[in-house]
Amino acid sequence: MKERVFIKLTNGFKDKLYRLAKRLLVSNEEAEDATQEILLKLWKNKKKISEYKNVEAFAMTMTKNYCYDKLKAKETGNLKIVHSNYKDEHPSLHRQVEAKDSLEWVGRIMDGLPDQQRMIIQLRDIEQYDNAEIAKMLEMNETAVRVALSRGRKIIREELLKKHNYGVV
Amino acid sequence: MELSNIEKLLEKYFEGETTLSEEKELKVYFTGENVASHLERYKDLFQFFSNEVHVGTSSEVVLSNPKKSWYTMTGIAASVAIVAGLFFANIPDKPGGKEVATVTDTYEDPELALQKTREVLHLVAQLMNEGKKDLVYLNEFTTAKRDLVYLNEFENAKNKLIK
Repeated sequence: MKERVFIKLTNGFKDKLYRLAKRLLVSNEEAEDATQEILLKLWKNKKKISEYKNVEAFAMTMTKNYCYDKLKAKETGNLKIVHSNYKDEHPSLHRQVEAKDSLEWVGRIMDGLPDQQRMIIQLRDIEQYDNAEIAKMLEMNETAVRVALSRGRKIIREELLKKHNYGVV
Repeated sequence: MELSNIEKLLEKYFEGETTLSEEKELKVYFTGENVASHLERYKDLFQFFSNEVHVGTSSEVVLSNPKKSWYTMTGIAASVAIVAGLFFANIPDKPGGKEVATVTDTYEDPELALQKTREVLHLVAQLMNEGKKDLVYLNEFTTAKRDLVYLNEFENAKNKLIK
């Protein structure tokens, strides 16, 4: 496989990998590193690419595993994930400060969810994969995906309600 | 879309039972202008979801083929080694040549050098003469050959007998 073909292939889902990594690792830089790492790994195994039925799903699984490893390493290394980049991630939202704040709030709620629910909501509500695809990517069964999805969404709803009732940000 | 329908979909949504297309409908409704006031709090959620899709990585993929670079590096190392090898291998040769030259140049003073050279040549000549002395015996060959002249007498006698 030529480099050009590979880049064309991976450009289709590169951003999805990045967003998933960012959802889990929070930091922009780390998500960039993760994306780079995953694509490099894929490139190294490019001979096997044709064997995979779905390269995108495979790359997603790789990303998930990579991020889990990173998170685990952080826990054991007793390092805190620093997410200093919260402010500047949506330049388009600067127009409306208020709207930006409340959307940020949703992001913060989402990042407070357990890893698995966070990933599932990311893959379903943002990337719009169906449950079967998500189950494959995350190496789970479909029922578990649906349950986690519902649980995660309900947590978000509760948090939104809380905010709505008390106006706490 | 009817409000009751949206509410129903929303309920289904939180149970995780909506299909992707139903979720799309919800997204369309909540990112639109006319959201019922009691559902306003979900606006942010769907707005957030549809915004997040546009987040992307800015960096370009850098694909360094490790195998290729390994080969290139080996190639570079090999050529450097060869060039260095040729370069350094020549160096011992040159001083070698110079050494031969310096042996003849051992003496600073030409007079002394001439004298020494003469001595050496003399020595060589002496040894040659000594060796030549043994060659005197070669003269025996000449005398022996002279004796063979008598064989001619045989020849003459033989001829007479035939007659």
